[in-house]
Amino acid sequence: MISKMKPEMVKYIIVLAVSLFVFSACSSDDSVDDIKPTIDINFEEAFPKNCATIYFGESFDLKMLFSDNVELGSFSIDIHNNFDHHSHSTEIDECNLGVVKTPVNPFVFINDYAIPQGSKSYETNLSIMIPATDGNDSYDEGDYHFYIRLTDKEGWSTQKGLSIKMKRR
Amino acid sequence: MLLFYYLSFGQNNHKLQGYIVDENNEALAGAIITLSPSLKSGITNSSGYYSIPSLQKGEYIVKVSFIGFDPIIDTINIISNTSYNAQLKVKTHSINEIVVTDNYAQERKKSEALNMEVVDASYLKQHLGGSLMNSLEKLAGVTTIAIGSGDSKPVIRGLGFNRVVVVENHLKHDAQQWGADHGLEIDQYAIDHIEVIKGPASLQYGSDAIGGVIDMGNKQLPLPKTFGGTIDLSGKTNNNLLANSINVFARGKVLYADVRGTYIDFADYKVPASHIDIYSYKATLHNNQMRNTAGYEKNLKATLGFVKDQFHSKLFISSVRSKKGFFANAHGLEPKNVDTQLHDKSNRDISYPYQSVSHVKVNSHNQFTWVNTKLEFDLGFQRNFRQEWSKYTSHGYMPPVAPAELDFDPNLERQFEKYVYAANVKLSHNINDKLNIKLGTNNQFQDNRIDGRGFIIPAYKQYQLGGFIIGKYQLDNTRQLLAGFRFDNGHIKSDAYYDWFSSPVNGPDGISQQYLQRAGELDRNFSNISWSVGYVHSTEKLTMKANIGKSFRIPIAKELAAHGVNYHRFSYEIGKSTLSPEISYQLDLGIAYQNHKLSIEVTPFVNYFSNYIYLNPTSEFDRLYGNGNQIFTYTESEVFRFGAELNASYQLSPNIDLGVIGEYVYSEQLTGTKKGFTLPFSPPASAIIQLKYHKDKIGSVLKPYASVESKLTAAQNRVVPPEEPTKASQVINMTFGGEFKLKQQSINLAFQVTNLFNTKYFNHTSFYRLINVPEPGRNFILHVTIPFTGRLN
Repeated sequence: MISKMKPEMVKYIIVLAVSLFVFSACSSDDSVDDIKPTIDINFEEAFPKNCATIYFGESFDLKMLFSDNVELGSFSIDIHNNFDHHSHSTEIDECNLGVVKTPVNPFVFINDYAIPQGSKSYETNLSIMIPATDGNDSYDEGDYHFYIRLTDKEGWSTQKGLSIKMKRR
Repeated sequence: MLLFYYLSFGQNNHKLQGYIVDENNEALAGAIITLSPSLKSGITNSSGYYSIPSLQKGEYIVKVSFIGFDPIIDTINIISNTSYNAQLKVKTHSINEIVVTDNYAQERKKSEALNMEVVDASYLKQHLGGSLMNSLEKLAGVTTIAIGSGDSKPVIRGLGFNRVVVVENHLKHDAQQWGADHGLEIDQYAIDHIEVIKGPASLQYGSDAIGGVIDMGNKQLPLPKTFGGTIDLSGKTNNNLLANSINVFARGKVLYADVRGTYIDFADYKVPASHIDIYSYKATLHNNQMRNTAGYEKNLKATLGFVKDQFHSKLFISSVRSKKGFFANAHGLEPKNVDTQLHDKSNRDISYPYQSVSHVKVNSHNQFTWVNTKLEFDLGFQRNFRQEWSKYTSHGYMPPVAPAELDFDPNLERQFEKYVYAANVKLSHNINDKLNIKLGTNNQFQDNRIDGRGFIIPAYKQYQLGGFIIGKYQLDNTRQLLAGFRFDNGHIKSDAYYDWFSSPVNGPDGISQQYLQRAGELDRNFSNISWSVGYVHSTEKLTMKANIGKSFRIPIAKELAAHGVNYHRFSYEIGKSTLSPEISYQLDLGIAYQNHKLSIEVTPFVNYFSNYIYLNPTSEFDRLYGNGNQIFTYTESEVFRFGAELNASYQLSPNIDLGVIGEYVYSEQLTGTKKGFTLPFSPPASAIIQLKYHKDKIGSVLKPYASVESKLTAAQNRVVPPEEPTKASQVINMTFGGEFKLKQQSINLAFQVTNLFNTKYFNHTSFYRLINVPEPGRNFILHVTIPFTGRLN
């Protein structure tokens, strides 16, 4: 009896294994949002772009285009020094970094911003003031890293890291 | 093995008696003889004699077991007073068993209503992975969450971290289970027996066993007046790993000792990729090496034992120490450029960032065995000390350069120190030949301290107390009913934490500098009742199981009070102090059929969590404490899960077996902000198809074997942010080995090739998957075991 069952049993095992596969491979769920938001800086007025310069004691206009398939969440900006060249840009163009140096009074900027509820697409219209001093001493000039993070309502996120120069005029 | 029984004349009230001896025909005192379907059992006295009175006529399965020996399972027919003698063989060097599941494992599986896997030393040596848990990955329903080449955490049917209890030599292993970035602090060479319980086992194991249990240890007990040991040597080509482990044991009459030392050293591991795309940042690899993932492990272990008549006491003392590097480009606040000259100079050095772990464990296991009663008690102590080191990097409003007068090393990123004290008592008693009752309590006290510049969880103290009762009732020859009930109480008290640096805060009087509080004081008490009812029907060929139960888990300090940057995935994690204990209801079924050619086992389950606790990504960012990182908060939601494992093997010819192992889990969140989504790190469906050749002997080689297997993994498209879908993959692995004789000395060789074609593929449940690191490339693994024994005068 066993020898008669042999081919069937093998077949049975293979069919089980294959069906297990097909079952799982097909069960991708369409009802949930699984698409990340995007950050677009590939247009004329976009700012900052990679290798841009931002000046102390002046304000600059952040111009970026955010979009998502369902609803945008919020975004954050983080500017910190890259004097030790620890950071990089996520852009293809590399910038010429200055010499490695020890920070004395480096500039730090961390802030997060809301996006109007229900937006699928949002062009930033934000003016950011960069102080020249911390009240006493002036900030260090040099290579900085400009990091933008964008989320959508579900918590998907996209990052963009840019190399910038910060200078005094 | 000498087996014989003779008949004598008697009444309906019969007696089974006999002698149990070892290979040298010396009496074994304390060997246990159990008869099923009755629950009657006997134990041998100092001359090796036992007797079991008042037996009815009929056919019985007799099992003779003694720690450190291979058990004997036999069928006897009792028509009158009967004698049954047995000779047991010592287990020490049975390293070459080809089959994973021997009779013992089969019997063990039939005695529990939950589904389980039993693994012995030979399986571990043939499947030696990068870590103990890697070696278990082939078991149906077991996966791992891995980071790097040598660290991984067990995952049972998609549940891991604090949802799986790991027990080593009767003591629950307690470390920093919540972290994905380090492995289990257990020496994989020192383990010779593992049982995996798939399903909620809170009943016997307490709070964290909601997903399952991995219970491991050393079963071996040397024979009286012998000494011996093993030398284990392993090498791996992928990360140039060299390991050696030396074990020496000796036993007088009642006292014995067993000592083991293990040293493992490995270089950076290699992946089949020239660069890694970490969130659109391209990190170029030098010689395909994962920069700075080298490490070492130094382990010491001693067991001192006392065995006399009904009493057996063991004292385990172990120390596991390791230092392992983190992938240098992906640790910190964002993907990073690193000093490639420094890091790529050598593939064996460990630079920043790295972690060092030290785990010390002392436990005393004591056991009294009488005919119908067994009493066990354990006292345990553990200290886990873990440090993460990285070059001082300021974030948030930390000073840009580390101040000189800090009360910790500025390069000490985080430090966790845990002291655990545990006491457990378990009593098992056969009330009559049908009913067995097990009673027990577990008590544990934990003291957790922290240090370093970064913060993630506060210091806390935790007390847990639990008591359980489990009954096993034999309905008839083939059917068994199991039911249990447990009460638990847990108390957790955590300290407040303030930053060591000040941050600017906008207030009514303008901006002021403040030392921000990240965690408030917390004092919570949790109580819970869990229960389980199971049924087992087993005949020689067919076993059917059903079990339904309620399990629970007390939220851990991280879930209640986390507030910090996760340096491994650039996120900011926040706990929720009001979380309630996680509750899970699960129905488990199991059906196994076995004849002399075919064995097939299918184990489906359905599971419902009224509040699954998990880390939910939000659309918010952290501004003040971190670095503008995305915030993840601990949240509870209703979760529904189901799945199944398949384990089949078919004997194509007397020497060739075909095996198939498959597993599948589906999870869906029913409520909350991620309604419709799956759970984080959901394992995709997978199957292993294996063809194995084995023989008792070829020439002078004993038990040679060779196998080829294909591991097929389906795509995982059901993901939760920030995960990416993972493509399907196929990997081919090979093994071969056997026992070689060099004059009188036997040498066991086990050779493996994993990822034969150096395929680039991703493992969805690897922690490094989040930053697009593929799985290790081709690896040749050689494991040599040299056993030796002798007699003491």
